[in-house]
Amino acid sequence: MGDLHLLVTIGGRRGAIPGAQVQSVVEIDQVAPVPQAPPHVAGLAALRSRALTVIDTRAAIGLDPAAFDTEGRAAVVDVDGHAYALLVDAVDDVADAQATATLSGATLGAEWDRVAQGYLETAAGPAVLVDIAQLVAGPALRFAAGS
Amino acid sequence: MDDLLAEFVAETREMLAAIEGELVAWEADPGDRARLDAIFRFVHTVKGNCGFFDFPRLEKLSHAAESALAEVRAGQRQPGTYLVNAVLAVIDRITELVQAIEAGKELPATSDERLIAALEPDGEDDCLEVDAPAGHGSDRRAASSPATSRSIRLPVELLDRLMSGISDMVLARNDLARRLRELGHEAGIESSFDRLSTIISDVRDGVSRIRMQRIDHLYSALPRLVRDLSAELGKQVMIDLRDGDVALDREMIELIRDPLTHIIRNAIDHGIERPGDRLAAGKPEVGQLSLSARQAGNRILLAVRDDGRGLDVDRISVKAVAQGIVTRAEIDALSLDRRLALIFEPGLSTAEQVSEISGRGVGMDVVRANLEKVGGLIRVESEPGEGTLFVLELPLTLSIVAALTVACGIHSFAIPQSYIEEIVRGNSPAIGLHELGDSRFVQFRDKRIPAISLDQVLGRGERLGSDCGSFRNKVFIIIRLAKGELFALVVDRVLDNEELVVKPLAPAVMAIGLYAGSTLLDDGNPILMLDIPNIAARHKLISSLATRRVPSSEKAGVTVDEGETVILFTDLAGQRRAMRIAAVNRIQSIDVDAIAYEGGQYRASVDSMILPIAGVDGPLPDTGRVTVLRLSDGAREILYAAQAVDDSATLGSALVPLPDSELLEGTALIEGVITAVVDAHVLFARLADGAPVSRSRTCRLPDGDAWARGFLAPLLSAAGYRVLADGEAEPVDVTIVCKVDADTVLPGTGAIVHIRADREPAHPGDTSIYRYDRAAILAALGRAAGG
Repeated sequence: MGDLHLLVTIGGRRGAIPGAQVQSVVEIDQVAPVPQAPPHVAGLAALRSRALTVIDTRAAIGLDPAAFDTEGRAAVVDVDGHAYALLVDAVDDVADAQATATLSGATLGAEWDRVAQGYLETAAGPAVLVDIAQLVAGPALRFAAGS
Repeated sequence: MDDLLAEFVAETREMLAAIEGELVAWEADPGDRARLDAIFRFVHTVKGNCGFFDFPRLEKLSHAAESALAEVRAGQRQPGTYLVNAVLAVIDRITELVQAIEAGKELPATSDERLIAALEPDGEDDCLEVDAPAGHGSDRRAASSPATSRSIRLPVELLDRLMSGISDMVLARNDLARRLRELGHEAGIESSFDRLSTIISDVRDGVSRIRMQRIDHLYSALPRLVRDLSAELGKQVMIDLRDGDVALDREMIELIRDPLTHIIRNAIDHGIERPGDRLAAGKPEVGQLSLSARQAGNRILLAVRDDGRGLDVDRISVKAVAQGIVTRAEIDALSLDRRLALIFEPGLSTAEQVSEISGRGVGMDVVRANLEKVGGLIRVESEPGEGTLFVLELPLTLSIVAALTVACGIHSFAIPQSYIEEIVRGNSPAIGLHELGDSRFVQFRDKRIPAISLDQVLGRGERLGSDCGSFRNKVFIIIRLAKGELFALVVDRVLDNEELVVKPLAPAVMAIGLYAGSTLLDDGNPILMLDIPNIAARHKLISSLATRRVPSSEKAGVTVDEGETVILFTDLAGQRRAMRIAAVNRIQSIDVDAIAYEGGQYRASVDSMILPIAGVDGPLPDTGRVTVLRLSDGAREILYAAQAVDDSATLGSALVPLPDSELLEGTALIEGVITAVVDAHVLFARLADGAPVSRSRTCRLPDGDAWARGFLAPLLSAAGYRVLADGEAEPVDVTIVCKVDADTVLPGTGAIVHIRADREPAHPGDTSIYRYDRAAILAALGRAAGG
């Protein structure tokens, strides 16, 4: 027995978002760009009567979003009272799985380490359990956390 | 005051209900620190609240309990059963009294002495006589009568949630409206949608009102503050609080509490003199501090007036120069208002000695900054020896903002209307662009103000080209910051005016520093609201006094009144005309269809008012829009039609009268071209009153009276009077007398209007007019002109 997780693909890798934190999965068709925004903030999108801040999860872990196709779907989450849409390559599945806290000693790569809070086994193989707050904070936080 | 009392009772009851459990627990374990603290907080709060009301018994009781508990908290005293009983007995008595207050009954005639004595450490012996608290809990509940007034207390957070729900509903409705429009008309759906729409608007109004609080709530703490401060400083001050029923967003009330407190502290500390000094100056011994409020559109104007010594403009100026805020030369060029406004500059405090109360120079700049943060403004007027007036202008609510939407490339943004001074098209001949070093300045009217393109702010595109053409198809949004500085933000297009429900931004977007919030437009697209003050500060568009007046070196020669400014325009007949700027309120463009000939006069509807319009004797275009100068004499408005507004200029030479034309005051050489100046006074006399007048009426002010020159003269000019310079020998129509005892009224002075400094007449037969009573002054001028 485990918890529900939303299985997604981020930058070509399998990831999982804790299901309890996902409000909905939406299609992002129109994003209003925000000039001067950090790279992982793709812009604003309207969901019903709310404005969502769209976070490109690929950019949030330091990847070039252009290098990966996206089907334009995003997980809507709430961090500190603000609504975000986490744009991913693809939303794959919902899985009932038990997360394991850490991989002892092994690194997933600096950016993945920062956003990972464990991993879980799925039918398709292991997936990195991501910390949505870290994704939303974006790569800039690396310096603050690393020092 | 009833509201406040009800709140006090409600709050006390609420706290009583909350600590009921604590009381029982404390009784069981008197050493329990957390319970002790909770009970201490209760009596402390009751005591504090009693300060506003006249409840000596409650105050004494809570004070005694507080002292006893404070000793326990300090470890000076051990809590024993006797003390617990005594405290509980006091709390029971407080409950009893509060119930009586709530029911509006006489307070029970029981003596509190014994209860208070029992709290004393040496009262231990008596404590045995104290009644054991009789089952707090069931009895107290049973005794409490149902609340007499039908009001409930709600957590603000719940209200906020409700409010944001309603805002979402409004946005959802707008979205739905858009989709319905796209689908085309369907009568059935449309009417029920309209009904839904109306209901949502009603509910939104209702909820907005829930968020409103009477300004009384802001006032409530002030009498105490004034009493304490004036006692401490050895002054006598009476506070007069008016218009307590004006309602304001409750969040706004919290936000202006500190700024207001600061202004009042300053007024008492620096403004109002000591009783002796006041008597010596011929003023009443007791200083007067008055607060009044009124709503003007969606703004609230809060005025704080004292009758103290006023601001010392000279000392402020000297200080500002000493602090390096402005240079000596700049000071001389500043108007009185601007010089007074220097008190809002950081680091300026004119107090000679730093007192406990104020005068550390960290005051008014913070006040202004805090007000600016919520979209408010502050301005100051002052008269030496007469007092100072601060006017705080606040938005009615924080959540709905009137905004202008603009486009820049593919992006659209919203700019709060409160910042916008004027919108000027780049192709207007009134606009000129200059390069100074790496910066761009726009020449507008007689000012040179810094300009920046929104593209550059957004980090895209080139800086504004000064070469002709590139800025001509842009739009210049002239922005006035709360301090009064101007800058121009250059955008591609102006889209629309909208009322926006602004939502906070995600931290990552906020951190960019360019945006203040986001919102959804009616079409469902998100849009960002620009953080104007931040943009200005980042791009160093403003120093404290960035807007320099352009030196008018090229206009050497005779100057009239330091060169009165006129607006140059082309009238409908194609003639070049000038209008004194004092009469021009603003420039608008209206539809030709809005102009109609009715009742022997041309009239035009503008902003849902119907105003007389002049200058339409020439051919009216069949369709399209006409530029109108909107003229005001302070009370009434009329319009003057024009083909285009060309420029502003300084009236450099004396007018040559045109005896044949009644509507023209005369001609003058303006920038080398002979230009006729429209006689605004005749226009008003004709169109607003119907009474023809042949020449400008003249008005004499008291010699050397700074107030009259600074404050009254503009009003008089706007009303069409020509204000005579000191000693100018001209026929005088009206003479203004500011001193009651003026016995030196010269012959040939025409009608006399007496102006007094005090709000109230000095004696019943006093026919003078209070100097800030604009309506009465204008009316008196009207009568004087008629007689």
